[in-house]
Amino acid sequence: MTLKHGAFNLSDRTYGLFKWFAILGVVTFGLGLLLAPQRALSSFLLVNIGLLGMGLGAALFIAFQYVCGAHWAVALRRVPEAMCGILPWAAGGIVITLLAGKSLYPWTSEHAVGMKGVILSYPFVLARTIVFLAIWLLLIRAIVRRSRLQDQNGDASLSASNTRLSALFLVVFGLTFWMACFDWVMSLEPEWYSTMYGVYHFAGLFLGALAAMVLLVVWLHRVGPLRHVLTEEHLHDIGKLLFGFSTFWMYIWFSEYMLIWYADFPEETGHFIRRLTGGWGPLFVANMVITWLLPFFILLPKSVKRNPNMLVKVACMILVGRWLDLYLLIYPSAVGHEVVTFGVVELGMAVGAPGLFMLIFIRSFRSFPPVPVSDPLLEASLHHHQ
Amino acid sequence: MAKNLISRDDNRRFLLAVFEREEDILGATNAARERGLVIADVYTPYAIHGLDKAMGLRPSRLPWVCFALGLAGASFKVWFEFWTSATDWPINVGGKPWNSLPAFVPVTFEVMVLFAALSTVAVFLVGRRLLPGKRPRLAASGVTDNRFALVIEETDATFDLGEVSAMLRSFGVSHLEERVDQDLL
Repeated sequence: MTLKHGAFNLSDRTYGLFKWFAILGVVTFGLGLLLAPQRALSSFLLVNIGLLGMGLGAALFIAFQYVCGAHWAVALRRVPEAMCGILPWAAGGIVITLLAGKSLYPWTSEHAVGMKGVILSYPFVLARTIVFLAIWLLLIRAIVRRSRLQDQNGDASLSASNTRLSALFLVVFGLTFWMACFDWVMSLEPEWYSTMYGVYHFAGLFLGALAAMVLLVVWLHRVGPLRHVLTEEHLHDIGKLLFGFSTFWMYIWFSEYMLIWYADFPEETGHFIRRLTGGWGPLFVANMVITWLLPFFILLPKSVKRNPNMLVKVACMILVGRWLDLYLLIYPSAVGHEVVTFGVVELGMAVGAPGLFMLIFIRSFRSFPPVPVSDPLLEASLHHHQ
Repeated sequence: MAKNLISRDDNRRFLLAVFEREEDILGATNAARERGLVIADVYTPYAIHGLDKAMGLRPSRLPWVCFALGLAGASFKVWFEFWTSATDWPINVGGKPWNSLPAFVPVTFEVMVLFAALSTVAVFLVGRRLLPGKRPRLAASGVTDNRFALVIEETDATFDLGEVSAMLRSFGVSHLEERVDQDLL
């Protein structure tokens, strides 16, 4: 079949804008390291967890589609595939944070005792980090490479082999991701623990990746590559997922909060008390409002999920919520919970991260056909309706 | 599956077309609508994606019923839990305040889902008059099993039976007959 799609009409101004965002991020990080190293390192951890989440969320999306044998999103698969391009960068960022940001993690100077001391020993954490990241990157790269290879040879068995790899990735991810979250973020407060922590991070990263996908597919529809590809039906399905995972995030958030509130153990409640006192209280509430409450009610009607303008607004709100969520997880522990610390460093790096993400995304997306042209399910995906 | 547009008027005439395949009923319904024919109803054994659009149906109002009843269920449950645990029989649980909202949330959520789901089904059944003792009256045999029926209303003198039949035949219609409304429903 011949496929009609628009050319990529990307203006130099848009590309330049992303470049300036990225430069701004790098400059504020550099200045921050000199003037306020603790804040700069915390912000660096924040953006790298966020960016890694974007790539992992995109990879999970691809894997879910393969494992379910779903056809609806096949025509859009190049978008999450290109989102995976950020993974090596973010993975590098995480390793750098662990190497350079020992001051973030109290357990590097005051060693914990017993089993916790074994788990949180510096070489062990570093080794785990590298092993986890390497396994994820290798599996994701294999999946993305097979999908791109299929464009050239049209070999349908590559789909089957990707289904197997996706299943493997999902299992490996499920078994390792929670430990990675414990190591990188939960250990900022080594005396606090929560068994909901891993699934809470998963909910956030998948929601964030879905919101980013909404923005990217609508944008790519407007600037060309997906012009004759993306339909209201596709948007409706992504909208449903966005709605569902926003609610899932809230569900997990509450599950964690309620258990700790009910049991009322001092070593557990500290985490929430630090985030409810000082100036953090309003942010703590705002996080729930913009990540779930408003998106939930706005996305309820069917017509909104099919309306790109509305969907883009909700996705933007959720992405701000995603940043705020990570900010609330990292800052009160790593920088201090007495006062809310927000300034040029945080703002500059929060703007720089999407800039860098977009530069890598555009480069990766442009290098391959904008849709998987030889995927056996492409035809069904293009004519998807519900 | 669709809203019944047929009223109790003895003089109305209908054309009943039966198809064997999902693609055919979808194509024929689309073609009939594009020609401006009045589609009285379509009978299918299961929900067909895109058929509501092909028939030009208005969006269902059932989601609003679901939303309102879910809200009602949640409000009722919050009030009930407050009444039982803070007003009628206060019990000290772990030193928590009597009206502890976080403790009410899980049950409120469950009751909201239960209320919304059960009452939406009930409203649907009552609204469609699908009450116990209802005798099935099928437009054509097999529409609950493996066949699909399209019912077109013959509105006025401009209705060209020959032309419409030819169109339906192009979609592989397996059975075609004219009826007055009493035979149909």
